[in-house]
Amino acid sequence: MTTTATPPSAVGHLVPALRAGAAYWFSGFRAMLAWHLASLRLWLVVLAAVQVLSGVGFVLGIGLFFDEIPLASALFVSTGVPVVNLVMVGMVLGPQLVADQKVTHSFDFIHALPVPRTASALAWYVVCLVASLPAVAISLGVAVWRYEGLPLAITPDVVPALLLTGFAGTMLGYAIAHAITNPMVTRLVTQFLVFALFAFTPILFAASQMPPWLATVNSWLPFRHMADLVRASLTDLPHPDLAVSYAVVGAWAVVCAALAVRALGRRR
Amino acid sequence: MTAIATDWAFRASEVTKVYPGGARANDALTLHVEPGEVYGLLGPNGAGKSTLVKQIIGLLKPTSGSLAIGPHDLVAQPDVARQLCSYLPQAQMPIDSFKAAEAIELTGRIRGGDPATVRARTDTLIEALDIGEWRDEMGVKLSGGVKRLVGFAMATVWPGRLVILDEPTNDVDPLRRRLLWEQVRRLSAEGCAVMLVTHNVLEAEKSVDRLAVIMDGTIVAEGTPSALKAQDRGQLRLQVMLSPGVTTPEAPDWVRHPVRVGNNLVTTIDESAAAAGIDWAVGLMGAGVAEEYALGATTLEDVYIRLTGHASANGTGGEA
Repeated sequence: MTTTATPPSAVGHLVPALRAGAAYWFSGFRAMLAWHLASLRLWLVVLAAVQVLSGVGFVLGIGLFFDEIPLASALFVSTGVPVVNLVMVGMVLGPQLVADQKVTHSFDFIHALPVPRTASALAWYVVCLVASLPAVAISLGVAVWRYEGLPLAITPDVVPALLLTGFAGTMLGYAIAHAITNPMVTRLVTQFLVFALFAFTPILFAASQMPPWLATVNSWLPFRHMADLVRASLTDLPHPDLAVSYAVVGAWAVVCAALAVRALGRRR
Repeated sequence: MTAIATDWAFRASEVTKVYPGGARANDALTLHVEPGEVYGLLGPNGAGKSTLVKQIIGLLKPTSGSLAIGPHDLVAQPDVARQLCSYLPQAQMPIDSFKAAEAIELTGRIRGGDPATVRARTDTLIEALDIGEWRDEMGVKLSGGVKRLVGFAMATVWPGRLVILDEPTNDVDPLRRRLLWEQVRRLSAEGCAVMLVTHNVLEAEKSVDRLAVIMDGTIVAEGTPSALKAQDRGQLRLQVMLSPGVTTPEAPDWVRHPVRVGNNLVTTIDESAAAAGIDWAVGLMGAGVAEEYALGATTLEDVYIRLTGHASANGTGGEA
């Protein structure tokens, strides 16, 4: 049963040269995308559903704070929720998954797979998009239904705005996951981030409602700028500092991606 | 064949690893594994085995020394190390959401295999390891032993030139252990260098061509199982099963390297002391200190105990 067949050679491939270059990168990206999607198979639908519920929950729930919500506030919430959806998976769930892998010691196996680090990171980004984009669309749909006369005006800029926001959030999470070696610290940091994201970043409300010093702090952090980008792409409202917002979010994305890839390649 | 003709040996030279806290996990380790060879790395927990492995696959960096496979410097090129080495970690694979066959196939593709060959090789391994009935089962539903076998298949579906197996048979039933070892042999026959990391000496004795015993980060013995056992020629293993709860009895001077694991007291004695050994053991039984004893040829386990002062995993199971 086990030895009589003539199975394919186990090591016929040992002779070819080592893999490198674009083909190696793309095959690693494709394979890791399949790996990440399969590894989340039991959860991806649930995860996307929770994203939808939380997005819709914000859109509807914040309306309950008011007898009649001012349209400007409704617009702020409705265009801020997509940012929450976009960053939550990559920035919070991603690091917690890596922390779990470290605790269960399965991280070493994944880490030892021959895949370019950037290919693996980008594959994870795509997975985060898959898990969050349905919630973005549904939350916006519910907002239009709930708040009559909501002046949404979706522009082509929505594509780069959503992609960059998702990328920056995912890379921030990736950096937290890999630059912090202690999984418990990773968990604590992500818990804090969730809290800070809702309470102290002007995503769902205007920065003008914050103490000036906190608004200044936020001008250096990516979240307010993510909200500005996304909001600008979903409305006709003027945003004079859009280029600054793109620059800040882009800089955070690049720095976090570099930090994460460096941390992944670092050997103690 | 070509792989064997080329010099694709794995070489570790003077590898020293000192962790930032100052702990010296590896101290000038030098060893080599030839293509076609199964090499055992034995040692108790904390001996430095895992540290060496993590340096080979590029997760840790040696403080000094070199690691190479053929012409490739693994320390300078950790990305090359990951292509040249396949690794089965001691921990279970993260495959709860994967079907068994899918996990194997996907790993093969990540390792660079073309889909058709990887699929055929996956089928071969599933059949060879006799895990066909679980091929479409999700990992979360698999028993520890089957998961281990799937992990083994993942590590070897598209093997590197060096295949590192850390406790590959943990939780695996005896029948399928045999099937797994057949596949290990097949890998080595086709030119892979196989490094088996274990503290199960009895199993290693049957499976490896050569082995090193590591203790406190250094190699304390290296050779074929027969060569290592030859040092104990003229010795016998006397294993005394103590009564539960008794304190370890004082052993006479001629009883060597007594090590107690649970209620088993494992010792070696000279062949000339066989009669005295039996008298001693019978005396312990008469005093209610012991329940039974066994006297037999020494095994690699006894060499291991002598070198490390530890019994190995499953090492006192009475196979002496």
